[in-house]
Amino acid sequence: MAAPMASQPQTPPSPGGGGAASARVGAAEEVVLGKAYDIALMRRLWPFIRPHWKLLLAWACFMPVTIALELAQPAVFRYALTTHILTGNIAPLPFDAAAYLALVLAQGASGFCETWYLQLAGQRTMHALRIAIFDKVLSQRAAFFDRIPVGRLMTRMTNDIESLNEMFAQGAITLIADFVKMIAIVIVMLTIDATLAVLTFLTLPLLVVLVEYARRLMRASFRQIRVRLAAMNAFAQEHLSGIKVVQLLGRSTTAQREYDEINAGHRDAYLGQIRADSAMYAIVEAIGSMAIGVVIWYAGGHRAESIPMIGVVVVFIEYINKFFIPVRDLSQKYAVMQGAMAASERIFQLLDTDEPDGAADPKATRGDGAAAKPNKQAPAIELANVHFSYGAEPILRGLDMRVPRGATVAVVGATGSGKSTVIKLLTRLYERDRGAIKLDGVDIRDLPLAELRRRITVVSQDVLLFAGTLAENIAMGQEYTRDQLDEAVRRVGLDRALARRESGLDTKVAERGSNFSAGERQLVAFARALLRDPEILILDEATAHVDPEAERLIEKGVAELMKGRTTLVIAHRLSTIRNADLIVVVDKGTVLEQGAHDELVAKGGYYAALERTFRRQDADET
Amino acid sequence: MRSSLGYLKPYRKSLALGVAMLLLTNVFYLGVPEALGHAVDALGVRSPDYILQLVGLMVAFALLTAMTRIASRILIFNSGRAAEYDLRSDLFGHLMTLSPAYYRDHPTGDVMSRLTNDVQTVRGMWGAGLLNLANAVLAFVTVLGRMLWADPIVTMWAILPFPLIYVVGQAMSRRIYGTMRSVQAELGALSTRIQEDLSAIQVIKTYGLEGVRRKGFIARSEKLLRENMEAAKVRIQLGPMLNTLAAMSMAILILFGGRALIHGDMSKGELVAFSGYLVRLVWPTLTLGFMLALVQRGRASWSRLVQLQDTKPDIAEGTGTALPASKLPAKVEVKELTIKIGERAILDHVSITLAPGTVTAIVGRTGAGKSTLVDALCRLIDVPTGAVFIDGRDITTLPLSSLRAQIGYAPQEAFLFSTTIADNVAMGYGGGTAIPAARAKELERVIGMAASEDLRAEPKVTAAATAAGLARDLQAMPEGLGTIVGERGITLSGGQRQRVALARALAAAPRLLVLDDSLSSVDAETERTILKHLRDVMSGRTAVLISHRVAAIKDADQIIVLDQGKVVARGTHEELLAQPGTYQDLYKSQLDVDAVKRQAVG
Repeated sequence: MAAPMASQPQTPPSPGGGGAASARVGAAEEVVLGKAYDIALMRRLWPFIRPHWKLLLAWACFMPVTIALELAQPAVFRYALTTHILTGNIAPLPFDAAAYLALVLAQGASGFCETWYLQLAGQRTMHALRIAIFDKVLSQRAAFFDRIPVGRLMTRMTNDIESLNEMFAQGAITLIADFVKMIAIVIVMLTIDATLAVLTFLTLPLLVVLVEYARRLMRASFRQIRVRLAAMNAFAQEHLSGIKVVQLLGRSTTAQREYDEINAGHRDAYLGQIRADSAMYAIVEAIGSMAIGVVIWYAGGHRAESIPMIGVVVVFIEYINKFFIPVRDLSQKYAVMQGAMAASERIFQLLDTDEPDGAADPKATRGDGAAAKPNKQAPAIELANVHFSYGAEPILRGLDMRVPRGATVAVVGATGSGKSTVIKLLTRLYERDRGAIKLDGVDIRDLPLAELRRRITVVSQDVLLFAGTLAENIAMGQEYTRDQLDEAVRRVGLDRALARRESGLDTKVAERGSNFSAGERQLVAFARALLRDPEILILDEATAHVDPEAERLIEKGVAELMKGRTTLVIAHRLSTIRNADLIVVVDKGTVLEQGAHDELVAKGGYYAALERTFRRQDADET
Repeated sequence: MRSSLGYLKPYRKSLALGVAMLLLTNVFYLGVPEALGHAVDALGVRSPDYILQLVGLMVAFALLTAMTRIASRILIFNSGRAAEYDLRSDLFGHLMTLSPAYYRDHPTGDVMSRLTNDVQTVRGMWGAGLLNLANAVLAFVTVLGRMLWADPIVTMWAILPFPLIYVVGQAMSRRIYGTMRSVQAELGALSTRIQEDLSAIQVIKTYGLEGVRRKGFIARSEKLLRENMEAAKVRIQLGPMLNTLAAMSMAILILFGGRALIHGDMSKGELVAFSGYLVRLVWPTLTLGFMLALVQRGRASWSRLVQLQDTKPDIAEGTGTALPASKLPAKVEVKELTIKIGERAILDHVSITLAPGTVTAIVGRTGAGKSTLVDALCRLIDVPTGAVFIDGRDITTLPLSSLRAQIGYAPQEAFLFSTTIADNVAMGYGGGTAIPAARAKELERVIGMAASEDLRAEPKVTAAATAAGLARDLQAMPEGLGTIVGERGITLSGGQRQRVALARALAAAPRLLVLDDSLSSVDAETERTILKHLRDVMSGRTAVLISHRVAAIKDADQIIVLDQGKVVARGTHEELLAQPGTYQDLYKSQLDVDAVKRQAVG
């Protein structure tokens, strides 16, 4: 009987052959096989869902209403048929039709609300989850980012979250609604005609066996599919990142053969899944038809009360239809759930990572700084016997360095000598392995991380600008007045560089600052640093070549910035080095020699040779 | 590139058969309401035996429907999967032909997302899209045909809302597509923001920007939430709307069918059968709306794939014959080679001759053009014709495979595949497998894919590993050459990676050996040992050596000094030392370091 209400208006019909679960595979997919349901994962997800319990409650209120309105439709048809149509009463038919339509409309409205609240709960949960991942990731120490590719972290926050959201849209939670509806149908049928209902559901055991069988087949199938898909993507990913080597080794043909082998494995893995999915779909449909046959057969034995019997037949057939559609689409939902669970497993794996930055790690911070009294007699910065390595490569091997208060110290050395590492250790992006790093005689591990990073400002050679406005990029999250910003811009000479841009401080900065030249970006960084007015300035000088005019502006800007400040310069410019109070020559992670410019030149060591090279470069460039 | 349907062409027979099966399915499926109608008319009139016969008929129809349904789904879905295989294979093959320059401009993540997400969406269009669209059309044809034949007038009334369903479905799927694109755009913006934050993580930490960036992130995420809800609003309207329209035909049936029955124009069985027919149309109608959206999404993905496939490899395959097999060292000539990127000349009229069996060292500052020069020799960057010759043949006329077969190249950035060290080394001579070792084990376990060959005792591999100074490191690893590196394997140090890459280059037994600063992460001591080995290996080969270490290059037959893309000096170590310039400075600075160190130690 035909109340044409689909079981789940918001659910697309079975796409079969894999479904949406496998449709989102991040570039950096790890092998997570995923079950279709996982209590442990659900429990972990709960804290993110719980704050939205009101929305879920609203959903839970609308859900039975929708079901009731849907299940009332066949009853109206039955009523029209038995009490009006079959008894020849034509007058009330328009009212029957109108009542039917009203029920459909009401069901539509209620169904809309039901889905709306569920979607909202889902989206808010995903929003909370995104923020949780963001917070987690941002609090990790720098070494974490050396290890985990950016792409993978992005996949967690975008694709994986989206697949998890499918659980709300078409997975577990809509399954609950389906289940409630099926129970309601059974109850309604039992009240209408208990014997017939029991006869009809004689087919149920068959159905349960079938569904369980298909589920097992699909589970095995999905496992294979995931393994092969992951292998295929890992293979492609690696060959794209190593394209140069692939081509140099003339490996394109071999690579294609190997890829096709896994690709074929992936295609064939679906054969089983497609068979199981098709069989289940068709057999459930057939069982539904047979249940209708049972109803007819039963009705055939009750020749006496024809009219009421026709009514019973009509509602039963309709309810049977409604009962079987969710079962028929179970395989699709299974696929969705599988994908969602795999995604949430990857997400929770990330949330379980714990390599917090110094600030978040009580083990790394010994005290709160109250215990350690700054000693004004001590050097502003002191490194004593500092050792450090990234993994197996030692970078610093017992480095000693002192920066007196108010002095400018230049660090020179070849690429890879460990100069830049000093900056990362001073700001505690990385933790030294051995030795001591002190600020005013206080170990930096005894300082709150926020304080440490407020006192030290790093101007790096590769200035990163954020998408937004220039003013935002200079203020860097602090509140400054327009006058303060203008003043800083003027003092570092950025105003002259900006003269060509009409919008001044409101100039839009494109992603990664690509609409700013290297020289301009340097000046922006100077203005940033000037406003922060740090106690200690660390300058990682740019090696990039800029035009002479920009060069002059930068030199002036640097001078302005360094005025009256303790400064540590990782120097590449002869002018900066010459003007430093102390020059420290670093090689292979230790200090080779140190002293003032003239002293070192007179000594005729490494610096003297280096200085000649610098001089020649300067001569070449001008 | 083939058109989207072009990929289905090889499978047209199974697709046609699948659609034929689908037609049968829909015809058989009619049998159920048909028999039901007859049964209702027979209730209380005919013998139970007759009704039992009808029930038997219904069961038979149900079984036939199931069989044809299974066949049609399997045929169509399998064709979709097969076409997906072809598409992937084509795309991957194409990606392997694009030059490294392409990948510098196009992030791997984006290319991967096309190879994974977009391919899947297109396959969805081919499999589920095709099946459901065909099913919807066939359901309409069969059901409406049957109804019209039974009672044209009631049918005309009852199907009145259906054209509206089509119109609404179309309009709504357009709106769905629109909102979906907004969601995609917002998702893209969020990804960009995440990428920005992650690449600026050190600035964020040192400037204490966590709070500000977090606020911005939350705002973006909230925007995505709103766009998603906007899309949901449209999407979840569609179901109730189509449903209401479909229900209108039921209401019409109550009205007109009921009237026809009372007037005796229709039997009660026919009325019940009609309601059964209408039920058969509901699902295809709902499907139609979703499938139109699916097809549109598939087309959007398809256009992204076409864009990828239409990128022409910027390094054209040489059309001449391959070089004849030879074990003699190669002769290489570079004549007036100029390579520009944009306006800037990376190499500026460079001319060099590498006599067979000699060692040429190239020195110069970062950015002087050293790596570009060696890339040009391998045509990893394209060169003009008549500029680079190997054995007297212009390299642009050589098939790329033939050119690269002559060369063993150890780059500074040592790229290793996530497989065993032995496999990585064996790749030098075309052996080994690049299937990630950890995955291979799973594949082997799950599908019994053949395990790769054991190369640990292969003399070519062990000899190359020894020559590259890996012997001691390998002894320290329990698995030796069988050690898996990279993903879920062990992480080698920079120096170890470089030496594995060097071993790979040596395993090729190349006629031209190129070492692009390939020992920069190796400590001086080890480097000296390797260089001693290399002298034996290099004899009988032509070699190009880029290094910053004087010790590594001072025995070279000639030393080329590059600066800003130009050759500024050339000669032997002694010749160059005699003239002031970059080389002299380099030598002095390194000499002094050694002297100072000796002092410090002494």
